[in-house]
Amino acid sequence: MKGISSAPGDYVHFKSQVPLHKISIGSKQWRYYDFGPKSVLPLICIPGIAGTADVYYKQIMSLSLKGYRVISIDIPQVWNHHEWIHAFEKFLDTINVHHVHLYGTSLGGFLAQIFAQHRPRRVKSLVLSNTFLETHKFAAAMPWSPIVSWTPSFLLKRHILTGIHDGPHEPFIADSVDFVVGQVEKLSREDISSRLTLNVNVTSVGPLLLPDSFITIMDTNDYCAVPQELKDQVSERYPGARRAVLKTGGDFPFLSRPDEVNLYLQLHLRRVGVEAKPALLQGVSGDGSSGSSSDEKKGGGHLDKPPEDHGSLGGGDGGDHQPQASGSEVHGLDEQFLSNREITSITLGTSFFLMQAPYIPSLLQFYMGALYVTWKRRSEFV
Amino acid sequence: MASRRRTLLKVIILGDSGYVNKKFSNQYKATIGADFLTKEVQFEDRLFTLQIWDTAGQERFQSLGVAFYRGADCCVLVYDVNVMKSFDNLNNWREEFLIQASPSDPENFPFVVLGNKIDIDGGNSRVVSEKKARAWCASKGNIPYFETSAKEGFNVEAAFQCMAKNALKNEPEEEM
Repeated sequence: MKGISSAPGDYVHFKSQVPLHKISIGSKQWRYYDFGPKSVLPLICIPGIAGTADVYYKQIMSLSLKGYRVISIDIPQVWNHHEWIHAFEKFLDTINVHHVHLYGTSLGGFLAQIFAQHRPRRVKSLVLSNTFLETHKFAAAMPWSPIVSWTPSFLLKRHILTGIHDGPHEPFIADSVDFVVGQVEKLSREDISSRLTLNVNVTSVGPLLLPDSFITIMDTNDYCAVPQELKDQVSERYPGARRAVLKTGGDFPFLSRPDEVNLYLQLHLRRVGVEAKPALLQGVSGDGSSGSSSDEKKGGGHLDKPPEDHGSLGGGDGGDHQPQASGSEVHGLDEQFLSNREITSITLGTSFFLMQAPYIPSLLQFYMGALYVTWKRRSEFV
Repeated sequence: MASRRRTLLKVIILGDSGYVNKKFSNQYKATIGADFLTKEVQFEDRLFTLQIWDTAGQERFQSLGVAFYRGADCCVLVYDVNVMKSFDNLNNWREEFLIQASPSDPENFPFVVLGNKIDIDGGNSRVVSEKKARAWCASKGNIPYFETSAKEGFNVEAAFQCMAKNALKNEPEEEM
C-alpha cells in the first residue's frame, strides 16, 4: 500500500503540529495524542478494530482550536474486557486525568460503554458511534477465533479490510477508507489479534449508571460494518440519548464527514457542560479583544445543571461587540477560518482521489483476494 | 424489514426568533448558535426521523458552516406574527438559505413557513395578518403556510407532517 506516502495535506499538517505520545504502563504500550488546553476535561476518542489514534486527527485539529482537549488512543494490546478496564484506568491515572468524556466508534464504542459500566464515577458522558452492546454475533461469525493468535498478520489484515464496505464510494468516503487502510498496514499482528479477540469475547454491556441524557448516539444512516440490528439495540438501550444521525458517511464519518461529526461533538460537549477554553485562539484569529479573563469557571461540579444561557445570543440584533460576546466573536472567526481550511483540504482530498484512480483496480484486487480468506463477509466485522 | 434503515429527513429552521428553542431548555450558548432535536413522524405508514436544526435566531448563522446545511431536505422559515420585522426578513432568510445550502433545484426546494406565537395576548398584539402571510407564500411558489403556537403545541404536529411530506417529495430513493 503506497497510499501512506501521499497522505492528505491536512494530515501532514496535523503531524507537524501535534506530538504523538508513546508510553509504557506495566506491560502495556500506549500510543496516543493529547491536544488542547489541559484544564478542560478531555474527550477521549477510542477507535474500532481498523483504527488508530490517528484516525481522529480531524477532530483533534478542529476541536482543540475551539478550546477543547481531545485525546485519541490506540487500543492497547489487551485480551479481555477486564484487562481493558484496568489498563485504561491505569492509563488515565498516568496521564493525570480523572474524569473523562468518551467518544467511541464501533469496537471503541463498545469498550467505552464497558468502561462506563465498571467505572461509573470516571465517565461523565458518552458519544457512541456505529457501535453495539454485545459481541455474540461477532463471535458466532468468527468460528476460527480460537486460532486468532496464530493467524499470520496478512490474513488478519485482510480479514479486517473485508469488513469495510467495498462498493463504489463517493470521494470523501473513498478517502476515508484509504486512510484507514493505510493505518491498518501499520498495525502489528498482536495489535490486530488482540482487538479481534476483544471483539469476539462473548460479553455484553450491562446497565450504566450514566443517565441517557449524557449519551449521544451518532450513527451513519447509509451503511457501516456493524449490522443495523446491533445499532438499533444501542438506541433501544438508551432511549433518552440524543440521536445525532448522519445521513451518510460510511464506516468512518470522523474522516469522511469531519465537519458534521465535529459539530455534533461540540453540541454534545456543550450539552454535558464542558466549557471550552478558546483563549489560546486569540493569536490564531488575530482578534485582540480580551477573552482570557472570561475563563473564570472551573471545570468541576458543572455537570449537575445544564449550561445556562449566557444571554449573549441576542448580541446579533445590534451587532454590538460587548466584551461578554467576545468569545463568540472569536469563535465565529475561527469557524470561518476553519471551514475555509476544511474546504481546502477537501479539495486536496478529491484531487488526491482522482490521482489515485489508476490504483483503484489493484485495491479492488486486494479486496477480492481477501474474499477467499473469509467466508462470512459483512456482519462479521467491525 | 425490521432492520431497514429509517429515512432521515433533515429540516432546518431559520427565522428571527428561534422556534423550538423553548424545548431545548435554554441550552443555547453563543458559541455554536444552533442545536437540533430528533422527532419521529409517521407519514403514510412509514416512519421517519426528522432531524430538526434550529438556529436560535442567530443572524450570523453563516458561521455555522457547511455541516449545518449539508443534506437539508426542508427549510422552515419562522416569523413572529407579532413582529413585523420578523415577517419582512423572511425573504432574506429564504435567499440566505438558498445561497448557503445551494440545493440542486432551488426553484423546487421545499420550504414551509410558520407564523408563530399566535397565542400571545390572545392574538391582540398580532401585526401580520394571515392573509398577508399567505400572499407572500403564494408569491414564492406556493410555500405551505401554518400558524402555530409552539408554546401550546397548536398546529405543530400538522407542520411537522407537512415537513415530512414536502421533504419526501425531493428525497431520491437512496440506494447503497
